Amino acid sequence: MKLLDRYEEVVGHHEIQRLYRMAERLAGKRVVHVNSTRDGGGVAEILHWMIPLMQELGIDASWEIVEGPADFYRVTKAFHNGMQGLPITLKKRDYDLHYEINRENAARLDLHADVVFIHDPQPIYLPRFTPAGQVGRWIWRCHIDASRPDRGVWKYLEGALPHYEATIFSMAAFTRPMACPMFLIPPSIDPLSDKNCLLPETERLATLERLGVDPDRPMMLQVSRFDRFKDPLGVIEAYRLLKPYHAGMQLVLAGGPASDDPEGAEVLREVMDWAGEDPDLMVFMLPPDAHRDINALQRSATVVLQKSLREGFGLTVTEALWKGKPVIGGACGGITLQVYDYHTGFLVHSPAGAAYRIRYLLRYADKRLRMGQNGYDFVRNHFLLTRHLRDYFTMLLSLDRPEPDSLVV
Amino acid sequence: MSLEPFALIDCSLARRATGRNCSNLKELLDAVRTVPDAVLEHHMMRCPLEDHFEMYEFPNDLARWCWEALGDPVLAEELGLVDPYKETSMAGLRSTLTDAIEDRLWGLDRIPWCRAGFELHLVASRLVAYDTGERIPTPAALVEAIERMSLRSLFFHVHEARRRTNGATDDFSLWLEQFETCRDLVGSLRELDFYFLNLSQLRQEILDLFAKHSNMPSVA
Repeated sequence: MKLLDRYEEVVGHHEIQRLYRMAERLAGKRVVHVNSTRDGGGVAEILHWMIPLMQELGIDASWEIVEGPADFYRVTKAFHNGMQGLPITLKKRDYDLHYEINRENAARLDLHADVVFIHDPQPIYLPRFTPAGQVGRWIWRCHIDASRPDRGVWKYLEGALPHYEATIFSMAAFTRPMACPMFLIPPSIDPLSDKNCLLPETERLATLERLGVDPDRPMMLQVSRFDRFKDPLGVIEAYRLLKPYHAGMQLVLAGGPASDDPEGAEVLREVMDWAGEDPDLMVFMLPPDAHRDINALQRSATVVLQKSLREGFGLTVTEALWKGKPVIGGACGGITLQVYDYHTGFLVHSPAGAAYRIRYLLRYADKRLRMGQNGYDFVRNHFLLTRHLRDYFTMLLSLDRPEPDSLVV
Repeated sequence: MSLEPFALIDCSLARRATGRNCSNLKELLDAVRTVPDAVLEHHMMRCPLEDHFEMYEFPNDLARWCWEALGDPVLAEELGLVDPYKETSMAGLRSTLTDAIEDRLWGLDRIPWCRAGFELHLVASRLVAYDTGERIPTPAALVEAIERMSLRSLFFHVHEARRRTNGATDDFSLWLEQFETCRDLVGSLRELDFYFLNLSQLRQEILDLFAKHSNMPSVA
């Protein structure tokens, strides 16, 4: 059975046939995706499914990774934080390092293609160092909220943009005025991956037992990298506000490392210090391939939180909704595209808000279940990889034929 | 005379941020006056493709934004009644919207503003349509196809068809015209207040009309 045909059970036969039909118009195109890691983070997760599926649809797709020393990742993490609005102090040598590492990688990577997708700031200057004519189109895929970046960081990154024919953002609120077209394509999840597939009940319970989570008591869960923008301390505060009313509540904070995120260990230490010795407050640093553990935790949660202060898209929200869990989400970024009050969860603005909404969901189990069903249907219709592929194909077809206003291919 | 089968088309939107947003009513007026047609089309006519659940008060983004973000229910109600498919051109639609907003601003002492984070981000879109390869030979087969076709196809064959024909017809009734026995059904389909409905509701109403005019059962 072909890879893509497995998804017929999820999205239906006709949706898959539509994808084949669209892809016929792009058959044989050489497409390369470039990012900075194969392990950890939403971008790598997406590319792990996107590349083989594009190949199956007749597109010559491949994946390249930029590499650099530890300092390069320190600098690019600062870029990431700066793009999300944190004031950043970088020296000229930091920018020079990034520039030089891009030069080195341009010489090393296989970038002969009709279309190259550059993901986020790490490889953004590759086009500057790639011989003219080697790449048909450069497209910058920005997964970060770039609406209010640190000025110094943006001024540096902006210098790369004239090389790009188009950019992609997850939502309009993330964009900044740019000369090239800014396409809007939200990310998606793979419903059949280890993280999102149905799990045998025995496996789910065995995972909880191994991790020390009581399956018979309610559990609130946040799954995220240990990053200050995810506000893990705020989640702990919400839990402590809730505990007097629900003594049996457990809190699980589960995260994993990303090889391009050097701050994770420091934030984890802060979280462990703040968590103290509460036996019902569990903090797990899971390995990057612990997808089935995450799956089990999400399916076991009573309520899932993503109490971010700044967020790109928030695929952990999508994952939870897919599993029929309403989400208490920070009112920011892509979370606002997914969490609709009383429909798929609640948007909150503080630990107190999170605690209050959790109390609501615990009290009204029928509403919690209905919202969970809404969330599942919502993700099935809008945030699965089939929609994502369709959006990419639509963009590429649109770029191939820029006139007229409506296009029939 | 051989009858042409119905060609089922699907579509997708290539959405693009313009980099422009509105924080207050004056900026909305400026935008309505100056943005490209593709932006007005997106916010006034392509909302059904982006609607989730059944929670929206109004059928277009401008009315919704006035209601939810600006807190101006008067203008929201006014804009909610603007039917772009009743206009003969985009210039006509633009003029109608401009008049409504100007008129509202004329009577206000203070310009309504939205809170930070609730700006209207202006988006342009381009509809990319493609032939699915499916050919539907009979009205009965069309009913079955409408039951299962994607909401995107439904949008293309109803909303987009109306746009292409300046509001005159949808693709289903145009195709059904070649069947003598479908005359009444054609008339009913063309009277549907499709702009008022979300796409799931539209599908059900179309199926109900088929059932009513041909004694075929509709599927809820």
